[in-house]
Amino acid sequence: MGRLEGRVAIITGATRGIGRAAAIAFGREGAAVVATGRDDSAGRETERLARAAGGRCTFVRQDVASEADWGAVVDVAISTYGGLDIVINNAGVFQVKPLTETSAEEWRQSQSVNLDGVWLGVKYGLDAIARTGRGGSIVNVSSLMGQVGYPGAVAYCATKGAVTGLTKSAAMEGALCKPPIRVNSLHPGVIWTEMITSQFGDDAALADAFAADTPLRMVGRAEHMADALVFLASDESSYMTGAEFTVDGGRGAD
Amino acid sequence: MELAGKGAVITGGTRGIGKACAIGLARAGAHVVVSGRSDADGAAVVREIEAGGGRATFAHQDVRRAEDWDRLMETTLRTAGRVDAFVANAGISFAKTAAEMSLAEFRDMIAVNLEAVFIGLQRATTAIRAHGEGGSIILMSSIVGKIGAPGYMHYGAAKAGVRLMAKAAALELGPEKIRVNSVHPGFVRTDMTAEFPEDFMASLTPLGRIGEAREIADAVVFLASDRSKFMTGAEVVLDGGLIVR
Repeated sequence: MGRLEGRVAIITGATRGIGRAAAIAFGREGAAVVATGRDDSAGRETERLARAAGGRCTFVRQDVASEADWGAVVDVAISTYGGLDIVINNAGVFQVKPLTETSAEEWRQSQSVNLDGVWLGVKYGLDAIARTGRGGSIVNVSSLMGQVGYPGAVAYCATKGAVTGLTKSAAMEGALCKPPIRVNSLHPGVIWTEMITSQFGDDAALADAFAADTPLRMVGRAEHMADALVFLASDESSYMTGAEFTVDGGRGAD
Repeated sequence: MELAGKGAVITGGTRGIGKACAIGLARAGAHVVVSGRSDADGAAVVREIEAGGGRATFAHQDVRRAEDWDRLMETTLRTAGRVDAFVANAGISFAKTAAEMSLAEFRDMIAVNLEAVFIGLQRATTAIRAHGEGGSIILMSSIVGKIGAPGYMHYGAAKAGVRLMAKAAALELGPEKIRVNSVHPGFVRTDMTAEFPEDFMASLTPLGRIGEAREIADAVVFLASDRSKFMTGAEVVLDGGLIVR
């Protein structure tokens, strides 16, 4: 019996990295997954991989900052799988650029995807999970950079810090639902996915340098985050809400 | 079974959260060594685990006594054969204002809830190093290690100490793949919270209910397993949203 047997999940940003790994892991644990993202061909590949792993998965094209898209995604979850129990607000953009060189337009773009997108996901998620009536779990993928600073990441840290705070208030509202809907944030450290390699380069020496600077002497993999997301989405974390769940190899401990 | 072939040690494993953790770890396949002060309760936990098809051993222990630590680790190596997971769970709790408390009472709290955790960390590290494959150390703190609580100055000091001990240990031991995390339960249904009216505890908790020991055990099993292999120095808060209010 899978940890997510009988549950229906929406996972945003599931075309690669953590989102794709989560879609595969959720399917393996028994969930039906609506995987979303902006890249159709990558989304279909996620769908194929999740199904090959034994899961049920449907890709839906979505811009998380679009309210209309959220309505459509929730409709697919309900019409295809009969309800909604879990939302993983994972979609995000990451750009490393010194503050003085960042344009207001770039700042707004970060806020749009990383913050507006999560806000909409929580808003639509709480509503649809409450209407389904089985209780549920929403996980917002923040970042270690939602807890500590990093040079060149002012805009990103601002979005992720906001997600950390948004999560706590959303948890208080979700707790009022009957049955309750839990809302927690996940804070990944350096996870070797395209989000990182697109900014720093896909360079083994660089991965080694990040690993050397991490107490566990490794970089994280998307699969590590998928394991954490399964835990947070499942009844294994049934008494956790409003919490910050940090999985960073120890980078944030000092 | 994700902990098959692994050895797990849990202090204060005869009742409450510790007992639930022992059962959870055994169900995941670990040989669990349970310590505690009550031989009868310890034997009952072992019987319950064995009845469920698991493997467990009890070792009598007062965590303040060095010779009891020796016996616990000897028993563990003799029966489980190795230590992969260590849960420093034993603890005491009582409410008293600082004005009414004697220094001896304060020191006793620190001896059990902080100093003994440090000794456990040392002993567990030595045992995990013996096989060199890394491991997971889980320190039971509390939400009172993160927020203040009147009447619990002594308890809060100990539990906050545990919280940061876990982080420093995570930094020290990370390169050896020994992970160290702290767990922070809110109100959980155990003998330790039996003195408080349940309605009162539930009313303080956003989820509207107190927690069950099993819910803490699930997180401890997650932390003991490879599902959390990139996780160290973290605080796992299991409180129904209590400290967020």
